Amino acid sequence: MEINVNLDSAYIPSDDVVAREIEGELIIVPLAAGIGDMEDELFTLNETGSAIWDLLKTQKKLRNVIEQLSEDFEAPADEIEKDVIGFVEELLKRGMLVEVAQD
Amino acid sequence: MSDPSVISRRMSEIGIWKKISSKRVPLSFSLEITARCNNNCRHCYINLPAGDTKAKGNEISVDVIGRIADEAVELGSLWVLISGGEPLLRKDFSEIYISLKKKGLVPTVFTNACLITKEHIEIFNKYPPKNLEVTVYGASEETYEKVTRQPGSYKAFVRGLDLLLENDIKVRLKAMALKSNLHEMDEIARFCRERTKDFFRFDPILHMRYDFDPVRNEEIRSERLSPQQIVELERADPDRAQEMEELCDKFILPDPIKNDKNYLFGCASGIHSFVVGYDGVYRLCSSLWHPDCLYDLKTGTLAEAWNDFTPKILRMTSDKEEYHKSCGTCPIINLCLWCPAHTHLETGQMDERVDYFCKVAHERAKALRKAVANK
Ligand SMILES: C[S@@+](CC[C@H](N)C(=O)[O-])C[C@H]1O[C@@H](n2cnc3c(N)ncnc32)[C@H](O)[C@@H]1O
Ligand code: SF4
Ligand code: SF4
Repeated sequence: MEINVNLDSAYIPSDDVVAREIEGELIIVPLAAGIGDMEDELFTLNETGSAIWDLLKTQKKLRNVIEQLSEDFEAPADEIEKDVIGFVEELLKRGMLVEVAQD
Repeated sequence: MSDPSVISRRMSEIGIWKKISSKRVPLSFSLEITARCNNNCRHCYINLPAGDTKAKGNEISVDVIGRIADEAVELGSLWVLISGGEPLLRKDFSEIYISLKKKGLVPTVFTNACLITKEHIEIFNKYPPKNLEVTVYGASEETYEKVTRQPGSYKAFVRGLDLLLENDIKVRLKAMALKSNLHEMDEIARFCRERTKDFFRFDPILHMRYDFDPVRNEEIRSERLSPQQIVELERADPDRAQEMEELCDKFILPDPIKNDKNYLFGCASGIHSFVVGYDGVYRLCSSLWHPDCLYDLKTGTLAEAWNDFTPKILRMTSDKEEYHKSCGTCPIINLCLWCPAHTHLETGQMDERVDYFCKVAHERAKALRKAVANK
């Protein structure tokens, strides 16, 4: 499956997963079948991943998510863009995010 | 900004175990959604008849279960065990199961598999459980039904189990070793291993009933294997024997355990887990029925039960000198079924020694010492 990440789209958590925060750790629990490769599987995001996830939840366009992260992390937007796109691609592939096209 | 990453992990590997090791967080809990069962196993500690209207009337509703589960999630619960009685006997099982999944809980279901329907299969396919654990009471109709005392139950069990396996639902099979099926344990183990290759375990020790019913308790006693039979079975299972030998240092401690305050509780119950019964009564563990240790969630909150009530129980002590000299400091307690809850079911006290448990533990220790010395 070809995945194209569009900076003018919003990518929000899929209804097929439930994100839980337990003791400061963000854990993504598959709800429906087909999210993980193994049944006995949970996913955790590292700190940066969690920061991106929290911003994605606000349904902002990816472009704005990157802007915000660049402010928060005091890093150039073009550097951050590459990481964020890679991360979103991975979560899309796993079915953890869905795209909401913006006009 | 460092690279963002998503890490996939087996449940046992997630970092929260380390983070909470010194904290009280109820990472897992059990819901016994009914005490009723379609079977009537000779050894069962809980079952009431399927048609018991009083027991049915006392079962907490989907809404109450939902409220308790919301509170559990709030406190940090991740895993939930749905058990019974027979959980599939409840008509609203699917509704309960899906609602727990949607809260981000990871469910395991204990079942006898007799009542599995196509609808259950669809739901388990769509919303997979962590595991479905099915108990195998016999490998033949005669033995199975000698245990369950329910004509037709063997056929229903095989049908249900086949349905699960044909549809690739993740099943684990386990057995209970009893006087009534001991002659068939090899066949039972083979039956299980043929169907689920990576998993089989059997449990050889019985505890008493939750309702203290003297007639039923006598039936349980009559199903108990002798200490020698238990050890023989355990030694005959190479995986189990090896595991016990590897952990020998944990099973046989060099010295008595230090317990100057004479505390009663020393396990993970009330630290990382709790149980809710079909009637909404909160307990630290499934077997702990001492009246001082029960909290009614129909009138109180889980937060109160967990944060205020439980710590008081964990600090309970015994004033018996005898307890301090025996179970309270016992170096082979990890080979023993003894705990305040099981001994209370057996003797009505939380700090008594139980002769049967004691004999089993000593027989196990003897066999283990011998096996390790021979290596
Ligand atoms: C009470 S059952 C509930 C789930 C389901 N009905 C089943 O039989 O698997 C849970 C497990 O407890 C076991 N069990 C029943 N009575 C017991 C007893 N007196 N002592 C120890 N385990 C017991 C059962 O054999 C089963 O494996
Ligand atoms: S099937 Fe399970 S709950 Fe039912 S009587 Fe047997 S052990 Fe008890
Ligand atoms: S019953 Fe015997 S073996 Fe078991 S804990 Fe007590 S003293 Fe130890």
